[in-house]
Amino acid sequence: MTLDPALLARLGPLQIRARKVMEGVLTGLHKSPHHGQSVEFSEHKEYAPGDEIKHIDWRAFAKLDKYYVKRFEMETNLRALLVVDASGSMAYGRGGLSKLQYAAICAGALAYLLSRQGDQVGLLVAGDAEPGSSERLPEGVRSFVPFASSPTHVQELLQRLDSAQGRGATLLSAALDYAAEKAGRRALVVVLSDLFDASERSVPALKMLRSRRHDVLLLQTLDREELDFPFDDPTRFLSMEDERQIEAQPRQIRESYLSEMRRFLESTRRELARADVEVEQIPTDSPPDRVLIKLLARREAA
Amino acid sequence: MERLAFAHPAYLWGLLAVALPILVHLFNQRRPRPLSFGAIEFVLRSQRQKARRLRLRQIILLALRCLLIAAVALALSRPSLKPRGAVAAQSTGPQATALVLDASLSMRYRLGASTLFDRSRREALAALDRLGPDEPASVGLCAGPAGFVGVGIGTPSFDRAAARRLLQSAQPTFLGSDMTGCLASAARALGESPVAGKRIIAFTDLAAHSIRLDAPPPLVPPPSAPGKSSSQTGIRPTVVLVDAAQGRELPNAAIIGTAVRPSASLGPRGYEVVATVANYSAQAASGLQVSLHIGQQTLAKGFVDVPARGTAKKTLGAVLPAGVIMGRVDLAREEAQGLDEDDGQDFVVHVPRDVKALIVDGSPSSLRSRDEAFFVEAALSPARSGGRISAQTLDADAAANASLDGFDVILLLNVPAPQRAFAERLRNAVAHRGAGLFIALGDHVDPDAYNDALGDLLPRSLHLLKSSIEQGSEEHAARFGVIEWTHPLFRIFGAAERESLESARTFRYALLKPDPGSQAHTIASYDDGAPALLEGRPGAGRVLLYTSSASRGWTDWPIRSSFLPVLQQAVSFLAAALEEKSPSPAQVGDERAIAAPQGLAVAAVVGPDGKPVALRREKQSETDAVVGPLQLPGLYRTQVGPLKGTPHEDGSLAFVATLDPRESDLRRVDESELKAQLGGAGSAQVAASSEAAQGAHGTPLWSGLLLLGALALLGEGTLTRK
Repeated sequence: MTLDPALLARLGPLQIRARKVMEGVLTGLHKSPHHGQSVEFSEHKEYAPGDEIKHIDWRAFAKLDKYYVKRFEMETNLRALLVVDASGSMAYGRGGLSKLQYAAICAGALAYLLSRQGDQVGLLVAGDAEPGSSERLPEGVRSFVPFASSPTHVQELLQRLDSAQGRGATLLSAALDYAAEKAGRRALVVVLSDLFDASERSVPALKMLRSRRHDVLLLQTLDREELDFPFDDPTRFLSMEDERQIEAQPRQIRESYLSEMRRFLESTRRELARADVEVEQIPTDSPPDRVLIKLLARREAA
Repeated sequence: MERLAFAHPAYLWGLLAVALPILVHLFNQRRPRPLSFGAIEFVLRSQRQKARRLRLRQIILLALRCLLIAAVALALSRPSLKPRGAVAAQSTGPQATALVLDASLSMRYRLGASTLFDRSRREALAALDRLGPDEPASVGLCAGPAGFVGVGIGTPSFDRAAARRLLQSAQPTFLGSDMTGCLASAARALGESPVAGKRIIAFTDLAAHSIRLDAPPPLVPPPSAPGKSSSQTGIRPTVVLVDAAQGRELPNAAIIGTAVRPSASLGPRGYEVVATVANYSAQAASGLQVSLHIGQQTLAKGFVDVPARGTAKKTLGAVLPAGVIMGRVDLAREEAQGLDEDDGQDFVVHVPRDVKALIVDGSPSSLRSRDEAFFVEAALSPARSGGRISAQTLDADAAANASLDGFDVILLLNVPAPQRAFAERLRNAVAHRGAGLFIALGDHVDPDAYNDALGDLLPRSLHLLKSSIEQGSEEHAARFGVIEWTHPLFRIFGAAERESLESARTFRYALLKPDPGSQAHTIASYDDGAPALLEGRPGAGRVLLYTSSASRGWTDWPIRSSFLPVLQQAVSFLAAALEEKSPSPAQVGDERAIAAPQGLAVAAVVGPDGKPVALRREKQSETDAVVGPLQLPGLYRTQVGPLKGTPHEDGSLAFVATLDPRESDLRRVDESELKAQLGGAGSAQVAASSEAAQGAHGTPLWSGLLLLGALALLGEGTLTRK
């Protein structure tokens, strides 16, 4: 079963959408040939000389008077930070889901999945400050939810995501600085953004995160219209982040636009790949569960 | 000198539609749809890069669209380029029109594949087609001394078919033309039409020779209304001269004269042909090839340089066969353009045949100067006679047994009276075969025996010999008294040379018996009245009797300078091989009178095309004839015969008709002077085509405009597709 983004758009609250996607992912994983160990399943192994002493399960020793070693404790101890860009440009999306909505669904589904297997999930919504908010946060961070893994924590997280509005300039680099600070020791940082950043500081910030030994994954959400530029009539293009505007004959600039866009995507992917940052460029009209399945499968394989 | 005109000017309002693309352009500029767009950065970058090109392309697109509409609107109005001067002819109402087509020789001038005449005829036919239904027309071909060829130019009529037939069947002539006269005649013919407008369209090469600038302008006579005096002057017709050459210079080279004369340096029957080559162009012509043809053979070739607007003579030598020779001199044909007809001239020359003479020496001597035949042999020697006469000498005894066949002339010099058999052979040769006989006397001659032996061969019978009183006494020697200078024997003597003949002294000569019934003709006599030279015509041959000796025995004439030419002439005359003067050439367009030989009548004259020419008899003579006006250049052969008998060709009456050398000169008349002569620029114009003159379509431009529109459409499509 795949979930059409158009269908998702009609599903209502984010909780339902994210859960739907998560269910799709789980079903997909069961079908996947790369089925690996469940994080929930833990195995005990009789102690043999050479095993780490600190891994001995003392409770099992108390019960059974034998030394057993807990084998997978390390893997269940994942901390994941979801960084969602809520700048103006992420609000783009005519008809179906906006890029921000799509990113929220993906982030929500990931939160579900991660908390289900006991991992700690945090959320950082990047963007200018919420007007009238009493929260004292640094620049570029609209809201932050610290790491936790309880189901109520996931609900809180989904609520934050649902209420996020795309507006203002892209302040992703500042947000990432904050993320690096908050993530502490090694963590998985999933960034959902279109990376349309006039200052072009986002890519260096991502590289900086990676250099701090975080596992960085960029889900670059892009609208189909941004990729194909399917406009014909003369149009006045308005910026969604500032006051810039431009009148153009789309038919005449399409070729140039497409090559600019291709170059941007290409250079972003290449530069980040060189820094060992995983990049997935996702058009918002592709089913999110499929995207996540593919992503997870690839990470399992790696 | 051209002007733009529109067939449907109303469509020019369509040009306002050019506003449409401009409005669409402005409309497009004004109303872009606003759109908030995430990836505006890329739009900005693309737009910055493309902005200039885009603006340029938009302007080009706008221009192409405007051009498309303008081209279509202009094409619909059917514009055309018309030569200037079209207005005057167009503005007036219907006009009686005389179409005058120059058919003179110069119109045969070839420009590439077609001649001026062909071009002019096409123009004339087109002009005829363009006439309005209410415009009567008449057609005339201008050539020859009579003005127009054929019946002349008639009253303008509406019979287009007849006019068209006349133009289609028209051929250029070899005659000159008098365009001024033709225009005047055409104007007179227009006077017979009731239509008020009068117009003459002449199609001509505008050669200066056909136009007289000092003549009065052509005038249409006023309508001859009864009761009105003729004090009213005529009106000036509109005269349009359609220039067949379209303003071009027409260089031409021609042979305008040919002279043929014997040339002693070339040997027997050697002749030199002198061709006069004229160059009627502004550039000097060098290396023109002149060649001499007799029949199919080319006998000589040469090259000549002719200065600009000048003439040069080229002499070509050739040895011609005997008889009436018809030949031709011509110039190498020029490929690109030129008048071919005047590049050659025919000629006729009478080449005398060779004469074989037998000298019968009645008093041979071992001492050359004492020999009776010494002076005669000397006179007839090949060195002196130009090789035409070959003489053989026999003594009287040898001659008596020799055959006379093959000899044209027999000269008896102081021969004793011949035997009967020899006399019979002589009579046979002279009277039947037509040989000539020359008899000179001397001491061996016995008059009575001569009379007996030769009898009727002698022009008159010999009587007795007369000596002047004393030999050596100058005063009493006889001299030639009356000489018939016009006789072929003597006509070669000019007044200055006659003295040599008149001063010859004769000491002894034969007197002749009076014979009132004799047919003999005395051509020279002594100062005492006694005949010296007599001509007789027994049967077919001729006999000359010289009553003195051909040696110094009886006279000193043989040592005089006049003896030699007279004797040579006498031999040629007796052999009927005198050098005839070649007949002077006639000119095409002239008449030629042909005098028939004695006893015969001119039966027919055959022209260069092999067809007989119409003959006219003069009232005074039944036998002579007049032909002409001659239409074709070339050789005309004459047939003569008895009044009631089969005619035969007489080569001596053949003659050549040459072209009028003025026609070869195609220099153009000065246009402004011509207009002035025709009555000023108001009524006269010179046009390159009749279209211009009649104000018809001119050069159409709309097809080009449509093409332009199509190209604009194509360009617009290519630009918008991108």
